[in-house]
Amino acid sequence: MARKIKGPQMIVANRLLDGRVVFLKADGGWSAVAADAAVAADEAGVDALEALAQKSADDNFVLSIEVIDATERDGKPYPAHMKFAMQALGPSVRPDLGYQVSPAWEQTDL
Amino acid sequence: MYAYDKYDHALVNARVEEFRDQVNRRVKGELTEEEFRPLRLMNGLYLQLHAYMLRVAVPYGTLNGTQMRKLAHIARKYDKGYGHFTTRQNIQYNWPKLSETPDILQELADVEMHAIQTSGNCIRNVTTDQFAGATADEVADPRPYAELIRQWSTFHPEFSFLPRKFKIAITGADIDRAAVKWHDIGLVVKKNDAGEIGFEVLVGGGMGRTPVIAKTIRDFLPEKDLLSYLEAILRVYNEQGRRDNKYKARIKILVDALGADEYARQTEEEWQKIKDQPIDFPAEEAARIKAYFAPPPLQVLSDDVPAVDELAKKNFLFAAWLQNNTNQHKVPGHVNVTISLKPHGGIPGDATAEQMDLVAALADEYSQGELRISHEQNLILPHVAKKDLPAIWTDLDEAGLGIPNAGLLTDIIACPGLDYCSLANARSIPLAQQLGKRFDDFKRLQDIGPLKIKISGCINSCGHHHAGHIGILGVDRKGEENYQLLLGGSGAEDASKAAILGPGFDENGIIDAVEKVVAVYLGEREEGEEFLATYRRVGPQVFKEAVYDAR
Ligand code: HEM
Ligand code: SF4
Repeated sequence: MARKIKGPQMIVANRLLDGRVVFLKADGGWSAVAADAAVAADEAGVDALEALAQKSADDNFVLSIEVIDATERDGKPYPAHMKFAMQALGPSVRPDLGYQVSPAWEQTDL
Repeated sequence: MYAYDKYDHALVNARVEEFRDQVNRRVKGELTEEEFRPLRLMNGLYLQLHAYMLRVAVPYGTLNGTQMRKLAHIARKYDKGYGHFTTRQNIQYNWPKLSETPDILQELADVEMHAIQTSGNCIRNVTTDQFAGATADEVADPRPYAELIRQWSTFHPEFSFLPRKFKIAITGADIDRAAVKWHDIGLVVKKNDAGEIGFEVLVGGGMGRTPVIAKTIRDFLPEKDLLSYLEAILRVYNEQGRRDNKYKARIKILVDALGADEYARQTEEEWQKIKDQPIDFPAEEAARIKAYFAPPPLQVLSDDVPAVDELAKKNFLFAAWLQNNTNQHKVPGHVNVTISLKPHGGIPGDATAEQMDLVAALADEYSQGELRISHEQNLILPHVAKKDLPAIWTDLDEAGLGIPNAGLLTDIIACPGLDYCSLANARSIPLAQQLGKRFDDFKRLQDIGPLKIKISGCINSCGHHHAGHIGILGVDRKGEENYQLLLGGSGAEDASKAAILGPGFDENGIIDAVEKVVAVYLGEREEGEEFLATYRRVGPQVFKEAVYDAR
């Protein structure tokens, strides 16, 4: 499917069993930290990532796949928009819990 | 309180087993997400920004100590140790796992609770006055009617797939604490000249992107006709409500399109066809339900309690709490206590498992085991003897729950906003926290007096900003959080829609703007005049000048 993208993209989803926020890696696996995410710079790359993500959804591992704008933080991939940065971290009003406390809230490599 | 009969038990338990099976099939891949989503929503399970969210029903906001302890237990065992009490008198958990949800629902069923009618385009849980059956300013306890409506509406086949969600609120008091005029149907219990009980019926209220105040379509509906008349209202809506556009699907749009008189006429016409069919409950069944809500056996006591007066003289915070957080009970010598879940700097409506346990223990000791949740996101101990207030306040205060701000500026309603909600444009909770810090002075708050601030993180208006004396709406302005300021709304019997004052602000700007609005009020008010009355008298212009001109 041809699409126009404005900049680099990454994919976020929720894990089916517990709703945990996960980022798609280049190998088709998922990570709990945004820094591990695969970033696509062109349309073909996004299509390829989306196909990988869709396979995971078809395998009932994730749901609610979203292709989102990516930026960099400390040289690593990070969601560009506040909403998705919040999603990566957990509620800003509870810095004592959520994914921000420790990326290894559970294991990071999923 | 209502107690389940064998039908209720069987229904709720069967529902848990059904959902357990559905979850298993989803996990095994026998159900796709598209197939499963409506099923989980029917059981209160949403997917939010960070995780699933489970909305548990607390029908008409009444629960007992055992149920509250169960809510605490669920927070500890299946969540992260806390829950969020909402404007719909429900509780939401923010981190449940799909795989554990059937177990949570079973634990709830064990104490006669569930998550039914908390989502979907059905008749949602009926809400009511948090002081129902206990307050001095009441014609009759509205909860038996709320329970009748619950029994009639639960899994009602005709009304399970309405054009859109449907919310009914009922009050029996002169002061409307249930925001009935902001609901799809609002009911006000009344007595006619002959002393008979009936209802004023309002339709077509709602918030969202098109805020509308409900209109009265019947001044007095006899008590016995309640369900058939509701059925007639819903049938007109179900047949003609728009299904092509979800933003135009609520009953408010239909009532607006037809006009309230025409809506009333069509309802009447439908009602004449069905009113003599056995839809309404027989008198014995109504009496059986009413018996569950019989007033607790309270002794008449003196309202003069020297120990209370002495503590109030010594301790300003207790005196303020006495004034703001207690409501006069029907029975002399008793009050209803509002436990504020709005600590300054805290998250409106959030309570830890430990706080829930404490409140449950206080209920068992001092309030006949009964508790309420208010739509303003606070907890209530009804039926408390005035003489017990010093002991209760001391216990609450030690747990951070003795904040004397009920009804004051920092008793803020805030929706979850962008901190939790996937539909949000902006955060709501941090604004409430900042306002709590900015106004963290109880002498100043007492001086400002009753003032309701309500904050929503998007136009869906879960935080009731349209009904705020001061309303705040979060919007997205080019990827940045931006906040609109609204003034002059009311959710009470004098309901009004708040109006936008001018251009929006960033997070700090909106806090400053609220402070300027308050300063204008203090300068303009007449002796004893509350914020809303002053705003209505002087109009928006002076507020506008103060907020925008000095920028
Ligand atoms: C966190 C997830 C939530 C989602 C996805 C959500 C979704 C929505 C939506 C879509 C509407 C607009 C409906 C319409 O105008 O047709 C709405 C309205 C509303 N919601 Fe929520 N909401 C959420 C949380 C809450 C909370 C925490 C409460 C309090 C229990 C709440 C109470 C309300 C109220 C009072 C309204 C406005 C009244 C009306 O229905 O017109 N919502 N919500
Ligand atoms: S008002 Fe908007 S942001 Fe707030 S809870 Fe409702 S849908 Fe979410």
